[in-house]
Amino acid sequence: MKFVELHSASAFSFLEGASRPEDLVSRAKELDLPAIALVDRDGVYGSPRLHMAAKSVGVRPHVGAEVSVEGFGNRAGLPPWMSNCFSSRPVRLPLLVESRTGYQNLCRLMTRYKLREKEKGTGTATLEEVAEHAEGLVCLTGGEEGVLAASLSNKGYDEARKNIEKLTAVFGKKNVYVEVQRHCDPIEERRNQAAVRLAETLDLPLLATNGARYARAPEREILDVFTCIRNHCKLETAGRLLERNDERHLRSTEEMTQLFSDLPEAIYNTSELSARLGYTLAELGYEFPRYPVPDGETMDSFLRKRTEEGFQNRYGVKKNEDLFERAKKQVERELALIEKLKLAGYFLIVWDIIRYCCEQKILVQGRGSAANSAVCYSLGITAVDPVGMELLFERFLSEERGEWPDIDLDLPSGDQREKAIQYVYQRYGQLGAAMTANVITYRDRSAAREVGKALGFDQQTLDRLSSVVNSGEWRGPSDNFENHFQQVGFDLNHPRVRKYWELCERIQDLPRHLGQHSGGMVVCQGQLDSVVPLEPATMPGRVVVQWDKDDCADMGIVKVDLLGLGMMAALEDCLELIPKHYGEPIDLAQLPPDDPPVYETLRRADTVGMFQVESRAQMASLPRNAPVKFYDLVVQVAIIRPGPIVGKMMHPYMRRRQGKEAVAYAHPSLAPVLKRTLGVPLFQEQLLRMAMIAANFTGGEAEELRRAMGFKRSEERMHKIEAKLRSGMTQNGFSPETQEEIITQITSFARYGFPESHAASFALIAYASAYLKFHYLAAFTAALLNNQPMGFYSPAVLVHDAQLHGLRVKPIGVLQSEWNCTIERSRNKEGKEVPCLRIGLHYVRGLRQSTAEKLVSERQKYPFEGIEDLVRRVPELQKAELVTLSEIGALNALGKELHRRTALWQVERAARSAGPLLDAIPEQMELSPLQQMTDEERLVADFHGSGMSTGPHPMTYCREALSKLQVKRACDLPRVPDGQYTRVAGCVIARQRPGTAKGFVFLSLEDETGISNVIVNPDLYEIYRVVINREKFLRVEGVLQNQDHTISIKASRVLPISITAAETQSHDFH
Amino acid sequence: MAFACLFVPDLPVQAIIRLEPELQGKPVAILAGAPPLTKVFAVNREARNLGVETGMTKVQAEAFQGISWRWRSPSQEATAYAALLDCAWTISPRVEDGATREEQDFSDTAVLDIAGCEKLFGSPDKIAHDLRRVASEVGFETNVAVARSPLASVCAAQGFAGVTVIPAGEEGLRIGSLSLEALRIPFEFVETLKRWGKNTCADFAGLPEIAIVERLGQEGLHWWRLARGADDQPLIAKEFPSNFEEHLDLDSPVDLLEPLLFVLNRLLEQLCARLRMHILVIGEIKVTLTLERNDSRNKEPLFHIRTLRPPVPARDSKFLLKLLQLDLEKHPPSLPVTAVRMLTTPVKARSQQLGLFLPLSPDPERLEITLARIQNTVGENRVGTPVLLDTHSPYAFRQNRFVLPEMKEKRSVTEKQTTAALRIFRPSLPANVEFQEGKPTFLSCEGARRRILAFAGPWRTKGDWWSETAWARDEWDIEVRTLRPKVRPESSRESEETALYRVYKDLRAKRWFVEGIYD
Repeated sequence: MKFVELHSASAFSFLEGASRPEDLVSRAKELDLPAIALVDRDGVYGSPRLHMAAKSVGVRPHVGAEVSVEGFGNRAGLPPWMSNCFSSRPVRLPLLVESRTGYQNLCRLMTRYKLREKEKGTGTATLEEVAEHAEGLVCLTGGEEGVLAASLSNKGYDEARKNIEKLTAVFGKKNVYVEVQRHCDPIEERRNQAAVRLAETLDLPLLATNGARYARAPEREILDVFTCIRNHCKLETAGRLLERNDERHLRSTEEMTQLFSDLPEAIYNTSELSARLGYTLAELGYEFPRYPVPDGETMDSFLRKRTEEGFQNRYGVKKNEDLFERAKKQVERELALIEKLKLAGYFLIVWDIIRYCCEQKILVQGRGSAANSAVCYSLGITAVDPVGMELLFERFLSEERGEWPDIDLDLPSGDQREKAIQYVYQRYGQLGAAMTANVITYRDRSAAREVGKALGFDQQTLDRLSSVVNSGEWRGPSDNFENHFQQVGFDLNHPRVRKYWELCERIQDLPRHLGQHSGGMVVCQGQLDSVVPLEPATMPGRVVVQWDKDDCADMGIVKVDLLGLGMMAALEDCLELIPKHYGEPIDLAQLPPDDPPVYETLRRADTVGMFQVESRAQMASLPRNAPVKFYDLVVQVAIIRPGPIVGKMMHPYMRRRQGKEAVAYAHPSLAPVLKRTLGVPLFQEQLLRMAMIAANFTGGEAEELRRAMGFKRSEERMHKIEAKLRSGMTQNGFSPETQEEIITQITSFARYGFPESHAASFALIAYASAYLKFHYLAAFTAALLNNQPMGFYSPAVLVHDAQLHGLRVKPIGVLQSEWNCTIERSRNKEGKEVPCLRIGLHYVRGLRQSTAEKLVSERQKYPFEGIEDLVRRVPELQKAELVTLSEIGALNALGKELHRRTALWQVERAARSAGPLLDAIPEQMELSPLQQMTDEERLVADFHGSGMSTGPHPMTYCREALSKLQVKRACDLPRVPDGQYTRVAGCVIARQRPGTAKGFVFLSLEDETGISNVIVNPDLYEIYRVVINREKFLRVEGVLQNQDHTISIKASRVLPISITAAETQSHDFH
Repeated sequence: MAFACLFVPDLPVQAIIRLEPELQGKPVAILAGAPPLTKVFAVNREARNLGVETGMTKVQAEAFQGISWRWRSPSQEATAYAALLDCAWTISPRVEDGATREEQDFSDTAVLDIAGCEKLFGSPDKIAHDLRRVASEVGFETNVAVARSPLASVCAAQGFAGVTVIPAGEEGLRIGSLSLEALRIPFEFVETLKRWGKNTCADFAGLPEIAIVERLGQEGLHWWRLARGADDQPLIAKEFPSNFEEHLDLDSPVDLLEPLLFVLNRLLEQLCARLRMHILVIGEIKVTLTLERNDSRNKEPLFHIRTLRPPVPARDSKFLLKLLQLDLEKHPPSLPVTAVRMLTTPVKARSQQLGLFLPLSPDPERLEITLARIQNTVGENRVGTPVLLDTHSPYAFRQNRFVLPEMKEKRSVTEKQTTAALRIFRPSLPANVEFQEGKPTFLSCEGARRRILAFAGPWRTKGDWWSETAWARDEWDIEVRTLRPKVRPESSRESEETALYRVYKDLRAKRWFVEGIYD
């Protein structure tokens, strides 16, 4: 008779368990346990992972949860005189799922009380609710958190008996097991003796469990650290909150049999109960909602009609008969497949969201593999013509895959996206739609900070440690805790420091808490709460499911991603600003294609603020790619990705693009597929097509190949498919070398490659952003600034870049600025009226929106006459807000000869009440005895108060001194010959260490004329790590490289320079 | 009205140097904090010039060559500060403690009221120089400033090196050149003033008075006045101390009497110098030697205390040293000495009349004295009330200071409370337990071997895994024949009594003990 652990908790009990469900399963397998039940606190968060892991190793996974219940009193707590006496929590009932009804009941029960909770993790079910949902569930009396322990400790044996009788009344006699656990604790043993007596008296079965909270004994240390994090205390002072010993790990049948040698039936009952628990997550019972169609229509016929309507609009106007015919065939093929796979409902639901967005004038565009579908294009879901661009439909949908297709929708971030999300909630009901969760796990920084706190290290040291821990992609050989610890002066030979380091490593990737995914929504036919428990999200009006998007996908739940894209919001703002201030209509769908000056700008890599092409790496490759048409931009978006870089495709493509290398194909048969990308595979679709041509794969098989090689690799699956690929290629007469080359390409691509359709969707937005920036700079900059944070650069850099492009940017002023940045008219040097930008009040640090709006509305009545008038009419303005407004010069226009210091002087008095006696007397503001701010003081105030300055760049003030040191300006660099030793200096606006760059660090330095790029090799970075990471202004010396108009300095020396104390910002390691 | 201020720059360093004069003029840095959090706590000018800064970690600071490292000794700082106050008392009976700053937990200034002292000691300038000289006699390098107000004198002493005498009416001018921080103005005012572009006291003082009240209120006005050198806060005089103390933490343990006498001499000289200032003599001298423990796991300090009452009150350090030498030769410390504390009581005995109608409860002062005496006898930290600690570790308790308990009604003993009591053996009895098939069978202890008749356990506890004091133990409750049987007549041997014991195994040391017996 084998023992089954029926009461184990994972780290998904959030800080109350220390192992991942996968680790529990693998340990259970090692111990030869036939099954394991995961009973996490108030949720089934870890069940999908347990299910998947258990399935793969042949352990039976049982589902369950500990449900907090009121009516049985609170958990047995610590004695009140103890220092760590926290408020008690209600007892928890361990419930195990016996049948599908039981699972649905458990989900509904938890949803019911979770949605009621005001504070995360505080919800409790009433006994009536438990009774209502008891069918199909088996109840245990629990360990120290359970009813039995609480009753015995609080009121004694009789109360315990009464409460167990209550449970048998609710669940039925055969569904209540009296639980006994043994963790070498005398108090627990006393409880066990009472439990055995109770079981005998009430004729209930005994059940032995180990109440496991971790897979192996040493993980007790992690649980102790978690306990400290949960209770905000240190290990030193946590006392009895910590574990008594390390006995709560998984045990083998032999160990348990020996431990319960006096109660053999308690062991026997585990396998008997396990046999009863027939339910697994394989029978989830999820069904996608059916779209309501008019009478006489089926979903298929309705979808066909909508597609046909859209098809005419999309392809009819193109006046290209060949395309029209091809597209028609493609749509037919897709519709037939959709019909066959019964996916019409899904397409209609997405179409419905698009329709709603169009009605509400919300900019929306589908991206991802959906852009491969002509049906999606016809329905208006995507904006790229897949037939015209010869995109591969199978990447999106295939018969073989048996999975839901993935449609991601880009929406303007902020309110508009929220509107779309709320529409889905309304349409499918609060219990029919929810956001997917995002499991927040411990990473380097969070682990270092929280473990450090638990071990009692001081905040200052932890801050220093955090500042050297990289959060970027690249982890060089020195990017480990060992080095970081040494950098902050920790002695790793000290046992406590060593423990700290070791715990930081061990805690990595364990769940910390549940967040909300940025846009993934799941919907369900009927009640979603019977499929997965729902919880309220922090944002009001939203609910989240307990599983993250991968778990949802594993469980076959379909998801629609409603993603917020800052650039979409900026584009939407442009659509409003341009007609208003330039008097020109604008339609993003009708932008002139291939506008030469736009491409000229792109070729110059003058792309600050443009979508997807503004990063340093993009800028470095743009002059080499030299785009002249839209497809070049599609390639540009896709090429700076780990796939092409790891697969070593970028350089061959660039060389071929520049004519430095001949276009060649691995095999002539691949020419049609790779022709557009000069023989170099750059997109996932090409990989699929290569497999189809070279090895006669069907579309579905090819997609299966991509997945097998992708992130979730399975050796066995990979070998099988690779063998098939090789045999196909051999059949088609591919030489072994060619086969090898193709397989290498496929392997590196499957992991990181970018779908062409996705690149095309992004390229559309990139082109639109480039076009708008070039032609409508004021509107575009205002829109960008109004939708921050987004993109790669800080507002200060965006403003400076716009100024370099000739835009006049006016500072914040209480008489002119609105909450958002606005466009004004002003005359240029030639006396011509041109649009200029006024920075909005929302850039004033600490100014509340409601106050700013009150200020604007008061101003609209009649202008403010002075500071006193402003303070009187907008009493909501707090002193700190007034001080910041004065400091940044926003009050200068309120009086004659008023400068920032005068305003500060006056504000200080105006903000201080004179008292009731003198209130009625109008005061005359005298001029201040204070000196005007110096340039440096103005800069410091501007950056401190608004994060930017509209005045001269800080580097302007020291240019003369720098010129003497032969420091070149960014604009001088194109004239410096390649290979010359050069000096540059500037404000660090970006630090990057991409995962693909082998530890190289890229710095962008901004001066008054533009941006210079610096490359720091890994060895040099180690030497100057602190300077590079912490200094705001740097002087860099090194050899200038000018390759194909891509200019950078290969640093050989990095020095900090003192330019200003202003708090400039940089974009680091993202 | 005139006030003088004595300020000791880098007091934690000077507190060390005054008892180790060979460090004078050398770069010295003070470390503080338990490893691994050791940081540089203070540095002297010489070390600062080499680039060592406070707040550096030990690893970072060790990169600098030629620095003398010492551990921080709060006791030495306290005695050094007491010596500084003594210097002040040589001139005036009205001496005020300097305030401690937010970022430091020690005081480094002493302010004294020198009004009327001119006739006794000469001009303010002479007084200032005298103060500096007296301070240098007890080993301090000080800044002394004389000004019309206490705070002005403190600001000047901290702001200017050497002796500064600010003539009446020139306070504003002299203090004006100091930064706002030197005035110790609250942070929020400094922030506002800096926004106004005012960085020095003079800048601040130059602003109009009414405008300051309008903007910064009455508190602002107070600081404004101070920036002008006008201060209206009175001096709060400190009471004269009843005893004098010196303390020295030794760098390395001293195990020979001769070098120890060398250290004792230094302390005695300092004490005599201080007493000389007050024309007092030593009535009693208590020397507390902290000893080095052999057992590093036991953190409890070990002391060797000698109290000496000279037959005649004396202030001659050589004479007193001789007495000490004789005493220590007779009662030498058993282990090497790591720190020396010397406490002297001046001879003036205090007399106190008890109230006629006061109840006969222990007089708090007498109680304190009694407690102190008990402490002197049994050792420091060995007198108090035990309080249980919140930990799974068995029998962990801390000692709180003993206070007279309030009279409480005795609780009636209910049935629930009558549980078996464990009588603990202190120390636990070393033992051995034999096992068969995982069950304890025999107990061997104190030469006896007993069959285990019944048992319960193991009760396992493991804790403090993150530190060097990690512990783990398995406890068993066992029934065996009594280990220490009472002597009984031969006839009753057969029916010998059994008893319940608690035995435990220290899992780290892998040793068994009998912990106690259940009543």
